[in-house]
Amino acid sequence: MARFTVGSAVRARPGDPDGHTRVPRYVRGHRGEVVGLHGDWKLPDAAVRGTLVTEPVYAVRFRAADLWGHGGHDVIVELWESYLEEAAGER
Amino acid sequence: MGGQTGFGALPAPGAEPPAGADWEAHVRALTYALMDRGLIGGDEFRDAIERIPPAEYLSLSYFERWFAALEILVREKGLLDGAGG
Amino acid sequence: MSGDHHHGHDHGGGDGGHHDANIAARVRELEAQLVGAGQITEAELEAILLEGWSGSPAHGAAIVARAWADPGFRDRLLADGNAAAGELGLEAEGYLLKAVANTADVHNLIVCTLCSCYPTNLLGPSPGWYKSFAYRARAVREPRAVLAEFGVELPDSTQITVWDSTAEARYLVVPARPDGSDGLPEASLAALVTRNGLIGTALC
Repeated sequence: MARFTVGSAVRARPGDPDGHTRVPRYVRGHRGEVVGLHGDWKLPDAAVRGTLVTEPVYAVRFRAADLWGHGGHDVIVELWESYLEEAAGER
Repeated sequence: MGGQTGFGALPAPGAEPPAGADWEAHVRALTYALMDRGLIGGDEFRDAIERIPPAEYLSLSYFERWFAALEILVREKGLLDGAGG
Repeated sequence: MSGDHHHGHDHGGGDGGHHDANIAARVRELEAQLVGAGQITEAELEAILLEGWSGSPAHGAAIVARAWADPGFRDRLLADGNAAAGELGLEAEGYLLKAVANTADVHNLIVCTLCSCYPTNLLGPSPGWYKSFAYRARAVREPRAVLAEFGVELPDSTQITVWDSTAEARYLVVPARPDGSDGLPEASLAALVTRNGLIGTALC
């Protein structure tokens, strides 16, 4: 059961994991909005350790102004569920 | 790499041979052959590319990075150790 | 392993230096070693080399042309790209094919900042510039400037959405149908669609 839905306010987990991961550095710690559910896929972080973990993948929209401090564009990034935490409060 | 500054202008379009160099096709074929055999996985291949030391990573072209990753995995998995498979 | 950096020698990925003869020899050597060790066979390598790139930008152009000509197909394409590609007899398996449509208000741009992922099975090889560090770094940060380098100038009012292919979705931009294309047969519509248009670095 997917934890988040379209419209969920989420935050990409901050921090720098030791191994392989597919969270781009530029979104870590930043707040975004789920704009799509992209199905369940094998988690790469576990796969490289020889473990099969499958999780929902979300399309998460980030505002350029939040990421870079400037820019009017959006960046939509696909993130596995364990890369995300709930973001509380209003923007 | 997303958002990293200092990389300058994009390479001129049309500066590449349409199908790539022959050795690149061989690197690609080698990679897929090993994957088809289940000897290397897609995630660990990407991971190996990411483990190329940064200075080297930035000095290699795309398929050179693939080749470097193959060398890393072949070594780590001992694919050439001993006689025969 | 660290080669000399050959400035001004623009090749393939556009980054880094190489010695073609040296790398080619090393690739052949590794091939011979792996075959000799029984890990793969020459036949397996030959089969992959002969197959080459099964994908082509023409496949993407055909999808876009159908979407322009047939609103029902366009809706189905945006809802389920894999199934829509299947309607045209195009294989799209093992990943999520996500079509994103340009409109008067929104322009889409595709990148993979982590490693240059691209829908190669459908569209064939990615352009050299797509694999460059400059594109991977700058597309998410300053898309307007990147588009300007491609000669694409968008009105300030156009919203740009950059899609970073970090997981298993592979994106296909559906360009806005050009003015003056009404009444054109599908094949002619397809001829208007370029590889760059499918990535978002051209208007069509």
